[in-house]
Amino acid sequence: MTALLIRVLGREQTDRLRRVLLWAALAAVLQGVAYALLVPLLTRLLGNDPADAWPWVGALAMATAVYGAVAFAATVRGNRFSAELGRHLHRRIGDHVVALPLGWFGGERTGALGQLAGQGVVQVMNAAANLLRPLCNAFVTPAVVVLAMFAFDWRLALAMLVAAPVAAGAYRWSGRLIGRVDRQSHAASVETADRLVEFARHQPALRAFGRTAEDHELLDAALREQRAKARAAVRIGVPGIAGFALAVQLCFTCVLILGTVLAVDGSVGAGELIAVLVLAVRFVEPMGAAAELGGSLRIARGTLERLEGVLASDPLPQPAIEGPLPETYGVELDGVSFGYDDERMVLDGFDLCVPAGHTVALVGPSGSGKTTVTRLIARFWDVGAGTVRVGGTDVRDLTTEQLMSRLAMVFQDVYLFEGSIEDNIRAGREDATDEEVRAAGRLARVDEIAERLPDGWAARVGEGGTALSGGERQRISIARALLKQSPVVLLDEATSALDAENEAAVQQALAALTADRTVLVVAHRLDTIRGADLIAFLDGGRVVEQGTHEELLALGGRYQEFWREREGARGWRLAARS
Amino acid sequence: MTGAALADTREGTPDTLPAPETPAKPPGLGELITPIRGRLTAAILAQAAAAVCSMIPFIAVAELARALLAPGGPDEGRAWAAAWTAVGALVARLVLYAAAGILTHHADADFQLDLRRRLARHLGRVPLGWFTDNSSGEVKKAAADDISTLHHLVAHTALEVTAALVAPLTALVYLLAVDWRLALVALLPLVIGAYFLKQAMSGGEEVTARFFGSMGAVNSAVVELVHGISVIKAYGRTSRAHRAYDDAADSFSVFFRDWIMSTTRASTSAALALSGPAALLLATATGTLFVTQGWADAVDLVPFVLLGPAITGSVMGLAQSGHAVQGGLQSARQIHALLAVPPLPEATEPTAPGEDGGRVELEGLSFSYDGVTEVLRDIDLTLRPGTVTALVGASGSGKSTLARLVPRFWDTTAGTVRIGGTDVRDIAPADLYRQVSFVFQDPHLLRTTVRDNIRLGRPDADDTAVERAAHAAHIHERITALPRGYDSVIGEDAVLSGGESQRLSVARALLADAPVLVLDEATSFADPESEAAVQQALSALAAGRTLLVIAHRLATVRDADHIAVLDGGRIAEQGTHDELLTLDGRYARMWALQKKGGA
Repeated sequence: MTALLIRVLGREQTDRLRRVLLWAALAAVLQGVAYALLVPLLTRLLGNDPADAWPWVGALAMATAVYGAVAFAATVRGNRFSAELGRHLHRRIGDHVVALPLGWFGGERTGALGQLAGQGVVQVMNAAANLLRPLCNAFVTPAVVVLAMFAFDWRLALAMLVAAPVAAGAYRWSGRLIGRVDRQSHAASVETADRLVEFARHQPALRAFGRTAEDHELLDAALREQRAKARAAVRIGVPGIAGFALAVQLCFTCVLILGTVLAVDGSVGAGELIAVLVLAVRFVEPMGAAAELGGSLRIARGTLERLEGVLASDPLPQPAIEGPLPETYGVELDGVSFGYDDERMVLDGFDLCVPAGHTVALVGPSGSGKTTVTRLIARFWDVGAGTVRVGGTDVRDLTTEQLMSRLAMVFQDVYLFEGSIEDNIRAGREDATDEEVRAAGRLARVDEIAERLPDGWAARVGEGGTALSGGERQRISIARALLKQSPVVLLDEATSALDAENEAAVQQALAALTADRTVLVVAHRLDTIRGADLIAFLDGGRVVEQGTHEELLALGGRYQEFWREREGARGWRLAARS
Repeated sequence: MTGAALADTREGTPDTLPAPETPAKPPGLGELITPIRGRLTAAILAQAAAAVCSMIPFIAVAELARALLAPGGPDEGRAWAAAWTAVGALVARLVLYAAAGILTHHADADFQLDLRRRLARHLGRVPLGWFTDNSSGEVKKAAADDISTLHHLVAHTALEVTAALVAPLTALVYLLAVDWRLALVALLPLVIGAYFLKQAMSGGEEVTARFFGSMGAVNSAVVELVHGISVIKAYGRTSRAHRAYDDAADSFSVFFRDWIMSTTRASTSAALALSGPAALLLATATGTLFVTQGWADAVDLVPFVLLGPAITGSVMGLAQSGHAVQGGLQSARQIHALLAVPPLPEATEPTAPGEDGGRVELEGLSFSYDGVTEVLRDIDLTLRPGTVTALVGASGSGKSTLARLVPRFWDTTAGTVRIGGTDVRDIAPADLYRQVSFVFQDPHLLRTTVRDNIRLGRPDADDTAVERAAHAAHIHERITALPRGYDSVIGEDAVLSGGESQRLSVARALLADAPVLVLDEATSFADPESEAAVQQALSALAAGRTLLVIAHRLATVRDADHIAVLDGGRIAEQGTHDELLTLDGRYARMWALQKKGGA
């Protein structure tokens, strides 16, 4: 656990944690001392002269006062640490995340990361503020009590300790059982949640094909499985919890029985025994609390482990010294090999040259690596072998800022920031004048969108651009790229059809963006393909054919086949009588 | 314990669920747990008995003290009786406690299953219009997260509260019987503790709202940083976005510290007043005073030392349970809100669709999602069997909405939809779905075997029929190339491209074999490379049916028997391709634009 903490929190925060823990432990020790004082106090009180108890009452009062002061200090320190820890973790996550390669951010990861930085951090903060002291009380206080017990009567202290290893063993056993139960229940509830989301998301199809909830066996099976797992959790978990409770009770029972034996035969004073039994109760109670803390502890631990997973991912290496910016704008891929995992290479010995000012179209079957090529140029990932060069410089020798200053990317998944249309265009170049922003907007035909909306250029786009249609989002992202005026344009043409007007507007906007630039386009539209200076046909991670449209058609190979099929598809008409 | 226990991070997302219509009283948990009420009551009784048993060992030790300190020397018999009573009570407590826990957990497992089924059944009947982009998140929240929150309430909190109330009450009754004056003194920490707790929680709601506000700011900054990272990096905004995130994190930290520190004094004071050492100090100090003054017997003090901390100790736990109850009630409200979404009414005496089951008539039809803005107005359209009718128009012109009214994804605001002459509202859902099939732009594949995906509409179809449909949809060969063929599971060992998924969904519609078919932008290709194969599949599907098709690419539907051009929710023009071109209106303009665009 300590190693995990150091990895996630860093050494400095771990040291702070140690100091906070020390205060909490001190409070717990003082609590134990206060309890231990009960034995002399009660022995005197139950003895012949109860007034002898007064000094011990004074001592207890002192101990309680000091305990109170220390406990207060420990709480304040815990709280301060908790707030500081939140800030520290947030920053640590932020600093690490911005240094990660873009390829790291995909699908589920982004959602999980958002959850982790939001709820996850608060969970850890809560644990720091609310868990540390009870935890110390649960372990340190009983230890102090047992030590004190030896001072009063070693036989009863031993009796208490006899059961302690049993309790410790039961605690571990029960923790393991509950861990197993947690994992099973978690898996079942993840499955249920997935099936529920599936049920909701595919509701149109499920309904169109006559599947109601009753007939949707996939969902019902998941729900039944979750119940089965919940029942199994009881079956597996209860022996663990009951076993630990039994072991803790055993401690008390041992002292009680042995104490009664000793008291009945007179070898222990009645007053002393009663005092020791009162102490035994104080020994047993915090241990019971330990079982309840276990759950919160496991949650905090799970969060820390997930945080560790994020912090352990490798950041994108940056050059040690910032080199000069490339002055030419060609793009080359030289013997590039790359795979998302070790099993399958997406690109394998890939060579491609996009001369400055030229347009190269990538075509080929799905899965042939077209999009990967554009993402490697933007250094979403680093290549496995070979080199990617922009303006003759290896992209790994450029800082992220340098590389990005050379590239404009228009990809299919458009992200717009929460803010106005104007803000989103200006993101392309912060220091652009209003006139430049409007000019870029007009070129990308965003002015028509602004006219339609009540707030015009100041209209909010909604988080992620949800207030606009797909075509409109594309136009804004193109305006943004236009404003940036980068010499190299990477373009992933949209596959989904837009309505006629949006389609025409997007085409115009793209024409403005790509004029006189170095362009690499993953092309789907036949006009784009035909109009390219060079077409590269990809298959199996390599360029299998390249040339102009006419050259490739004349070649009579894969491209020709592809072109014929696409031409045929374009002429396809749907009719009832085919 | 500090206010941070409030930081239950399951923040209420903005309530986008429609409010239940005129609720007689705020729906609570009571109605939801009716089916398991009996078992819950039994569990609570068992827990109450366990709580009483948990106090008996303390009482027994006190009795042991009396026996040992008896004036005539130790009373051995009474001493052993007390000791064994303590042991017996401990065992009884454990058994009762386990029984209570087992009962609530089993009841809760049934409760969760029942409630989730109920929610799913209900969701299967609400208008599809309810399912928007974020509704799957809402469904997950209600049916997974909220019900899990209730788990805590049903399986744990009810028992915790029972124990936290019954145990101290038992102790108090016993102590009052022993010495009422000392018993009253023992209650003192409770009064002090309650005072401080109240102080610590003052302004709770407002502060909680601010807490969630501040946390929301961090969450938004995270979302923006993470989802926008490619844009952030591409436009060199890294430092700026990073700074915004850092600022949000810092102000959250400052807020958290101020908040937690503002309540630290009061909450720590409460915790200390209710702590073990404080209770013991009070009991022994007053006890010593009483004994030295001769107001009480020393042996009567023993119960107070034993039970005093038990009275005060449970209060902090109760305060925590209070948060759990609040969270649970909030979740119960969310679930009720979901159950209160009005379902589509079902015909009481369903009629079968008429003879001519392939004929679809839309008459005087208007539709509005929200009752304010009309999405469709005065639509009259007839789809004849064996013909293709195409809907074209700009995004937002109402094409998809119109198409979805045919299989009654919603009910119309005015006018009727008839299939085979029968109003769709009078047709039993099962019969209706046998008449109308739908192919969506999203193939809607489920995470199950390819076979079960194809036979979604006809679960009893045999393998031959499934394979025949797959053949016709040009996907059979691809399926047989999968690791487990038709038994491969979508998303696991069957990873299909967009075009392949589309063909699979066409196979599904082919197998369902309904006379009326709606193609909602199914001709727009996720995967241009397999366009031709998808087209062949669609052609196979179209043959001999009543077809309603939505198309962006006009060329696709130029051979349609009838083309309706939608504009602002009305049919602006209709006719064949040639007729519409001659008209030289909207359609002609769209056609020209697309010709020029070359799409």
